[in-house]
Amino acid sequence: MAIIVNLDVIMAKRKKSAGDLATEIGITPANLSILKNNKAKAVRFSTLEELCRVLDCQPGDILEYVKDEDK
Amino acid sequence: MWNAKKSVLLSLIFTRIVMVLVVGVAVLAPKMVEAYLEYTSKGAEGFGLLLGTVYVCCVLALVALFSLDRLLTNIRMSHVFLEGNVRYLRRLSWCCFLAALVLLPAAFSAQGLFVVVVAAGFIGLILRVVKNVIEEAVILKSENDLTI
Repeated sequence: MAIIVNLDVIMAKRKKSAGDLATEIGITPANLSILKNNKAKAVRFSTLEELCRVLDCQPGDILEYVKDEDK
Repeated sequence: MWNAKKSVLLSLIFTRIVMVLVVGVAVLAPKMVEAYLEYTSKGAEGFGLLLGTVYVCCVLALVALFSLDRLLTNIRMSHVFLEGNVRYLRRLSWCCFLAALVLLPAAFSAQGLFVVVVAAGFIGLILRVVKNVIEEAVILKSENDLTI
């Protein structure tokens, strides 16, 4: 996957638990787990907006592009 | 009150009844073929070929009915857009195509079977298109499920 979700890094920096974050941004813990484990195929702008608001960060702090060597 | 769940259950019951009927036809096939040949006064030379055709069609019908049974069971559990269901629809479609192919030689001696050959081929084609639609829906559902 070329886009890496660095949610666990920013969550550790902000000392936020997965359960609290899921409740605050209004998604299920299962969906947050999909996002954290880089299993998600897409992220809604509304979810990204909530993540940035709750974690007080920029989209670039959460998402990172890594060049895929196979492509 | 009649609802979708009861409708699926009814389809499932019909499928299982037809399964039993197909097994019954397979058991009684020699007598039925004999009676047919006697009725049409075609003689006993086509007995083996006709009996073989009936048996192959029974096997194809049972494979198709088993796939239909599994498909309906999944739908009953609200598991509609699954890779497994695409597989069952593909199998159903191929069973129809194969039945049309198997019945084609027999249709030359019993012209009425041409209707069955065309119907089986057409149903196979429709099922193939439905399979393609469900296949796309499975991809879309997976993308939708993984959109957070």
